[in-house]
Amino acid sequence: MLELYTSEPNTFFLKPLIALHEKQAKFESRWIDTEKFEQFALSPASDAEAHLHLEREGPLLRHDGILISNSFFMIEYIAETLPGPGLLPEASFDKYRAHASGQFLGAHLGALVPILSCVKYLAPRLAAMDRAKVDATLNSVEPVERRYGWRALLDGTYTPQILATARERLKLPVQRVEATLGAGAWLAGPNYSIADIDAFAMLRVIPDLAPEVVNARETPRITEYLARIEARPAVKAALATTRSGKPAESFVPGVEPSRWG
Amino acid sequence: MTVRLYHWEPNANSGKPMLTLAEKGVKYESHYLDLLKFDQHQPEYLKVNPDGTIPAMVHGSHVLTESTPMMEYVDDEFLGPPLKPTDTKERWRMRWWMRFFDSYFAPSLSMIGWAVFVGPAARQRPREELEAAIARIPLESRRIAWRKAMFNEFSTEELDESRRRVRFCTGILEGHLARHEWIAGATFSLGDINGFNLGYALPLSQPDHCNDAKTPHIMEWLRRIYERPAAKETWKHGRTAMAERVKFLERGHHA
Repeated sequence: MLELYTSEPNTFFLKPLIALHEKQAKFESRWIDTEKFEQFALSPASDAEAHLHLEREGPLLRHDGILISNSFFMIEYIAETLPGPGLLPEASFDKYRAHASGQFLGAHLGALVPILSCVKYLAPRLAAMDRAKVDATLNSVEPVERRYGWRALLDGTYTPQILATARERLKLPVQRVEATLGAGAWLAGPNYSIADIDAFAMLRVIPDLAPEVVNARETPRITEYLARIEARPAVKAALATTRSGKPAESFVPGVEPSRWG
Repeated sequence: MTVRLYHWEPNANSGKPMLTLAEKGVKYESHYLDLLKFDQHQPEYLKVNPDGTIPAMVHGSHVLTESTPMMEYVDDEFLGPPLKPTDTKERWRMRWWMRFFDSYFAPSLSMIGWAVFVGPAARQRPREELEAAIARIPLESRRIAWRKAMFNEFSTEELDESRRRVRFCTGILEGHLARHEWIAGATFSLGDINGFNLGYALPLSQPDHCNDAKTPHIMEWLRRIYERPAAKETWKHGRTAMAERVKFLERGHHA
């Protein structure tokens, strides 16, 4: 039995949807409304990996009773476990490149994209909710870092200066992806792989959030790469799972920025 | 084809590929860089790794600079005992814990280590020399981190939060090892190699929170890894008192 706890097909939630559709896998979709905080009930403290994974909000994949978390390792698990078209690089060094890409983009885009996007789309919707009820819900959320991710949006933590820094810091991972695509069509070797699914899910919203960073003039290879992946049937099928019709406007708080600065 | 490894002490990120190569039985050309003398930001090394981070591994035409993915490469590329479980759920758990160690536990532990031990030692040198060394660091994020470490720019709140996280993680790890023999489950793996490099000195640096009475499963797990020939061999590469701390794990050792 394969169950995916999923929400609007965007960023972290989009990755396993693409991987499962690429594999043409049969799975039960369990929809969670993240703005009704339904995800908080899914990760009990008794399950350390589901409770403490660093993307905090989801998605989660339940397979044979085990809850798989962390969107990159989840798509790697899907690629390694399920039959269907290969999504793993074959050569050892290409596997290294996929892991290094997942780690690097996970730390950079996984932290920066949620800040910029949640301030733009989620914070206004949170502000329209009954603050006392939201506080009551958040007060019981563990671990505390997860609570703080939501509170920061309500408390105006993200000043214009912090947002400008976040946009500036997007340039390093974006430029690295652009350079990698200069050496080949895909991020980790000669074929489309989990590294591309991972990068696509985060990169595709940046033209909206920071148009000065990803655009046809500054990053022509990324622009072409995004269009190429978006045209894949599995990606279209994943994006078609949206209920709002605007998946690229749905976001959740993500990975905590480095505490070392 | 020779493996060249650029590393510091067998500790944290440098120790991860060192111990992995030793477990696989792969001989390598060792290039020791003194992290505290900023050898990793010298022009010679920047030709190998322009980011100026260590470790770095060169194998044929391949240059690898991320320590945890590097461990997987070593396991994939070389003959020797497999260091990843065959069961894909265990393999996922191994990777989950390595990310938890690398991105949550280690940054807090290293912040305390720098504030208490390493920073004060480094500040024996003239401020201008340190400023010049920091200015040579290629990555902005690393310049910020080094500045904080060198000039002790950690706030009380940051250090308190790091201490809280280290205690919390120690408790979580103890619970995990009470349920599983190894990090991934039933199989010794890269997860244990990663965790050992992070935690071998926990009983010394956190004696009130990591000890035989409070965390017997962590203590036993550390000792079992320490007793493996690969760990003994790897920690001989240490040149400072830092690596000596591993001897605390000798059974019957009394501090």
